[in-house]
Amino acid sequence: MKKLVALVLALAMMLMATAALADIRVSNLKVEIDAALKEYAAEYSKTAGFNVEAYSVGGGADYSGSVKAELQAGNMPDIFVIEGLGGYNVWKDYIEDLSDTEFAKNTSVGFTVDGKTYGFPVAVEGFGLAYNKDLLTKAEIDPATLTTTSALKAAFEKLDGMKEELGIDAVVSMATSVAGGMTWVTGNQNFSAYLSCGLPYGDMTVIDQMREGKVDEARLTAYATFVDLLFTYSDQNILLNGNYDDNVNAFATGKTVFCHQGNWIDPSLAAMKESGMDIPAMGFIGEVMFDDQEITGLMVSAPSWYVVNSQSPNKAEAIKFLEDMVATEAGQDYMVNKAGMVPAFSNVTLEPSGDLSKDVMKAAGAGDIYSWGFGYMPDGFGQNNLGPIFELLAQKAISVDEFVAMVADQFTQIPALLESAQ
Amino acid sequence: MGKKHRLTNILFLTPAVLSFSLVMIVPFFLGIYYSMTDFNGVRSVLTFVGFDNYKAMFTEPAFLYSFLVTLEYTVINVILVNVVAFFLSLLVTSNVPGKNVLRAGFFVPNLIGGIVLGYIWQFIFNNVLTALGTNLGISFLEKTLIGNKNTVIWAMSFVNIWQYAGYIMMIYVAAIQGIPANLMEAASVDGANYWVRLRKILIPMMANSFTITLFLTLTNSFKMFDLNTSLTQGGPAGMYMLKAVKTSEMLALNIYNTAITKNLWGQGQAKAIMFFIMLVIVSLVQVSINKKKEVEM
Repeated sequence: MKKLVALVLALAMMLMATAALADIRVSNLKVEIDAALKEYAAEYSKTAGFNVEAYSVGGGADYSGSVKAELQAGNMPDIFVIEGLGGYNVWKDYIEDLSDTEFAKNTSVGFTVDGKTYGFPVAVEGFGLAYNKDLLTKAEIDPATLTTTSALKAAFEKLDGMKEELGIDAVVSMATSVAGGMTWVTGNQNFSAYLSCGLPYGDMTVIDQMREGKVDEARLTAYATFVDLLFTYSDQNILLNGNYDDNVNAFATGKTVFCHQGNWIDPSLAAMKESGMDIPAMGFIGEVMFDDQEITGLMVSAPSWYVVNSQSPNKAEAIKFLEDMVATEAGQDYMVNKAGMVPAFSNVTLEPSGDLSKDVMKAAGAGDIYSWGFGYMPDGFGQNNLGPIFELLAQKAISVDEFVAMVADQFTQIPALLESAQ
Repeated sequence: MGKKHRLTNILFLTPAVLSFSLVMIVPFFLGIYYSMTDFNGVRSVLTFVGFDNYKAMFTEPAFLYSFLVTLEYTVINVILVNVVAFFLSLLVTSNVPGKNVLRAGFFVPNLIGGIVLGYIWQFIFNNVLTALGTNLGISFLEKTLIGNKNTVIWAMSFVNIWQYAGYIMMIYVAAIQGIPANLMEAASVDGANYWVRLRKILIPMMANSFTITLFLTLTNSFKMFDLNTSLTQGGPAGMYMLKAVKTSEMLALNIYNTAITKNLWGQGQAKAIMFFIMLVIVSLVQVSINKKKEVEM
């Protein structure tokens, strides 16, 4: 009997030992680069001496919830993603200091706290209103003139009157619904325009105010008016029921002139092109949310960072994987050419091929950019507290003023939420 | 002899008792503990906050709304699932041709997972039905039923009936087949028509299966999560007590969102404990009422 027990135990330990070989697991948030990342990880594993397994959670799925589930299951990934200070505060017991790495010296957008680098910027990303160049030319509208809300409104009215000529369903493609999983996009990403659009890069005034639970009413009203304008001219079915795919497809097939999205749709567009679809030429205008200030720049930031699990036995390998991604030709080729990302590292000189990514790179090069601030909000706040208010505005169930009042009301909860997250 | 028996008993019971305690008992008490802390789901140092988490939930409009919407859904769903399942069971125990195929057909949706089902029906509601509505001029269907706060609960219940009625039907079928045929024959010789037999014999004789099916549908509706997550994610948005709420976010989803997306594990856990207490009370009341109606042969 004892022998049997000993044998079983020995077998179990052997099994555990094999499972714990220097394998590293990379949990990825950007579904758009899923295929490219998996391919790169497989190629990399061939020569690295250890196995890298990459997998993606995202595109409407709850990322941080899934990492938490993995933690509870004793199956934490070695590399995972955080999206800012909120995520850092949750995970700080599991985040390795990466200040001494080579890539940390080659980037200006690493995730830092108190001067120490903890996060590897996945990419530089930008969003705004993507436009269809051909359709705007046909309507004789110069996108360079669309820098204020009233200019945009005039253009929308003109385009709305030319629906049949242009063969479009609506002027804008944008999605807000809770059911479509789009509250992340409205409540976090789009709301960043309120937090930082038109301010110097990295300016914290509005963000600090938000963290004290206060709103800048005039600014919020201007923002809400701009959002309401987008909603009014949006394809209503996509706006109220659509998901990410509906949102991008309508724009990619020329059914709308504008699309509220970021340059991360480039790989999806490239894939559509490869499958034989006719993808129009595109460009970006900014979040033109003011009448008294012209907005020419885009919202550009490193929105998410890879962090290394500090409690992983294989963290050295995990760091090496990230180092090589920036230092080797294969890694750079993956980031820029295969995954179509705008690189965040000064030693990478390749340029992405997508129209929207090119515009983001141009804006970043010219310094005509505004940071994203949603990472400073409490966790899940944009998605759960703000997202439904956007949907109500889209349904026309509330007015712009009510939108402002409801957002201000939600803001009063922020100090307490932030404190409990410390 | 007695001693040896005891050892055998212990050996056989250990795996079940051990796994039950590990996955049910321990997490339950751990949950009560977490509900009184500020646990965020990750950090290891916890602060004890007493009943603050319990107090917080009663002033949160989203939670109160979830509670109401869960009650509404439960009432609608329990009635509809059981009525539909009961008539299906009458149908497949009558002399209709192909009743075995029908039985299998009604049961099969139950084998599809709730998440998959949710996505399939989301497509049907958003694309298929709206296209039908537009082309056939049925104004009711032109806008998706899961995008309207007045219809979303009914739509969810409809999908749940489609999935679950076949399962409940099987329980009814077993009960109907368990009724001695001579009882029904004797009644019909005595001149009782179908309706009278149904009311005076069939339904009273099936009372113990009603206890089971009502319990199953009640707890199933109360705990609804998978379909809720994939079909609507809680949408569309609506107003309640002047706050924006998700009009189809039921309790289980609200608890999940609190604990996981908002990182307020302690609060989520407190809601879960309340949820547990409510569910126990409701199902105890239901079972004791139903038990009184059962008849012994």
